Amino acid sequence: MTDSSMSQPSYLNIKKGLFSWIFTLDHKRIGLLYLYSVGAFFLVGAALGVLMRLELLNPGGDLIEAQTYNQVFTLHGVIMIFLFIIPSIPAVFGNFFLPIMLGTDDVAFPRLNLMSWWLYVIGALFALSTLVFGDGPADTGWTFYAPYSVKTGTNVSMSVLAAFILGFSSILTGLNFIVTIHRLRAPGMGFNQMPLFSWALYATSWIQLLATPIIGITLLMIVAERMLGIGLFDPSIGGDPILYQHLFWIYSHPAVYIMALPAMGIVSEIIPTFAQRTIFGYKAIAYSSMAIAFVGYFVWGHHMFTSGMSGPAAYIFSILTFFVAIPTSIKVFNWLATMYKGSISIEVPLLYAVGFIFNFLIGGLTGLVNGALAADVHLHDTYFVVGHFHYVMFGGTGFAFFGALHYWFPKIWGKMYNKLVANVAFAIIFIGFNTLYFPMLILGIMGMPRRYYDYLPEFHSLNQISTYGSWILVSGLLLMIYNLIRGYFNGTKTTDNPWNGITLEWQTKSPPPLHNFDKAPELVKGGPYNYPNAIDGSH
Amino acid sequence: MSDNTKLVNHNDNEIHITSYVEHFGTWISLILLTFMTVFISVFGADLNTLTVATALFIASIKALVVAYYFMHLKYDPKIYRVMIIVVMALFLFFLLMLVVDYLTR
Ligand code: HEM
Ligand SMILES: [Cu+2]
Repeated sequence: MTDSSMSQPSYLNIKKGLFSWIFTLDHKRIGLLYLYSVGAFFLVGAALGVLMRLELLNPGGDLIEAQTYNQVFTLHGVIMIFLFIIPSIPAVFGNFFLPIMLGTDDVAFPRLNLMSWWLYVIGALFALSTLVFGDGPADTGWTFYAPYSVKTGTNVSMSVLAAFILGFSSILTGLNFIVTIHRLRAPGMGFNQMPLFSWALYATSWIQLLATPIIGITLLMIVAERMLGIGLFDPSIGGDPILYQHLFWIYSHPAVYIMALPAMGIVSEIIPTFAQRTIFGYKAIAYSSMAIAFVGYFVWGHHMFTSGMSGPAAYIFSILTFFVAIPTSIKVFNWLATMYKGSISIEVPLLYAVGFIFNFLIGGLTGLVNGALAADVHLHDTYFVVGHFHYVMFGGTGFAFFGALHYWFPKIWGKMYNKLVANVAFAIIFIGFNTLYFPMLILGIMGMPRRYYDYLPEFHSLNQISTYGSWILVSGLLLMIYNLIRGYFNGTKTTDNPWNGITLEWQTKSPPPLHNFDKAPELVKGGPYNYPNAIDGSH
Repeated sequence: MSDNTKLVNHNDNEIHITSYVEHFGTWISLILLTFMTVFISVFGADLNTLTVATALFIASIKALVVAYYFMHLKYDPKIYRVMIIVVMALFLFFLLMLVVDYLTR
């Protein structure tokens, strides 16, 4: 904030008015556009989730009917997957921070970047339009499994087209990041001097670029099947429903890493900053991102163990699934080793990062349980799966998203939220989250199936606990959001580098100027996490 | 220009002027291959399943010709070739597992 006489105005003040935002080419403003849209849809999705939990508070259809419930979980799933979690970290924080962390002034293709946000908006409108047009939102689940998705009277075509358009938005972001990383790194910054968040985005972008077109085509095949009855997936006219599942999961399993890898990148940024210590195993973390992205292409069949896929194919996929665990655990051990003997300051972002590790461990290990062929035959389509993927996506990526928000909040707006309130909100969210989802794991093992509005009496008490958890969670979320909004309006001004970070975004002002740096940033000697005052005897 | 072992940096805005011979060669080979596909599907019905396999094989050759000559892959750094090979390998793995599933069901 000093010597403002000779420096550019911040990106927030350079121009005002709605049009200066929705037609901006500045990667930082586009990042914020994504933040607001993604955040809004998170709230819609969460409201639908709470609605489902209310219905499940007691057995019997006392709040919503079966058909409505089917549409609610589908809309919840579609919103959370395509409108929240896939764009979340890359489109918000990737857009905002990737160029700054690489020491450059924008992404490679700013116009494509704006177009990708507009495609996101159009896709979102398509998804929401199912609420008013046709026979209501799809009731197929977010997976749109054929042949039901070909036969149901609900508005599947529109939902599927929404996902198709959103896919293009995702592809453009990925393409943009790949070119940015290859072409626009600051002079002297080789691949191995990049921050780990960039590595994570790099791996993610390749998945976005290579896997998303497959889901695009597959979803169009659904529309074609519905309108023209070609006989691709519908067995009554010669199609094969299992082919649909192959095509769907060859995208959607890699897509799980579109959700997870950027979150891991966030954690790899937060932990060294708050341990003031070089990240342990830089290359192991960087390359394991690439390894996860690669191996992630070979395991899709683990979603199909009980769907009629052949036995030998199932064995192969089960074995391959276990390989993904290796690079993932490499990362976890490296994060823990980074904190070991570091000078740790327990600030809110670190709490979210550690919360991530805790939740992701439960999510990852229950994932291995699902990947084990014999166990999955029992657990498939039970609440165990619902518990598992919320641990990964919400407890993992969601927590990392909130962590990133608290970590970079002072950089984005130049102000600080109330840290005490933020700590309290974290505690409530953490407790609420685990109260909501841990009972689901037990319910699943007891045999409660997913995607039902009703259940047998023996599942009552655990369902009640889970619903209470959703109330705790939501109050924590609201407190967190309130605190951040209050920080935005009334927060105290911060310094440019409140956490003593050393990646390049901490060298510029808070909030950054339009072209990110007033003078060219200096690369840290000895790698991006070489903390000058680290007490470091271990390696 | 014909030295395609040299790494070409597109930052330097180097322009490759491809000869007419090469362009026409690409075009004519594509047309010939298309005729082959048609010929096999119309007259080669006795090949049974192999008809599909042959058609796919010819289509792959056409794609390679387009990528290599028309899309200038031959001028690009080796890394681009590696990327394309990786993508093709992923795709082949996908087909392989589909076939494994179908044949052992
Ligand atoms: C307030 C937070 C949330 C609550 C209360 C909640 C609740 C639920 C419940 C109860 C179901 C199971 C429906 C059923 O099988 O009968 C469900 C499904 C699902 N949730 Fe959530 N959830 C929340 C947040 C999230 C988040 C953050 C994500 C992703 C990032 C997510 C993704 C999904 C998906 C993909 C499904 C599967 C939908 C389907 O079966 O097609 N949820 N959620
Ligand atoms: Cu999977």
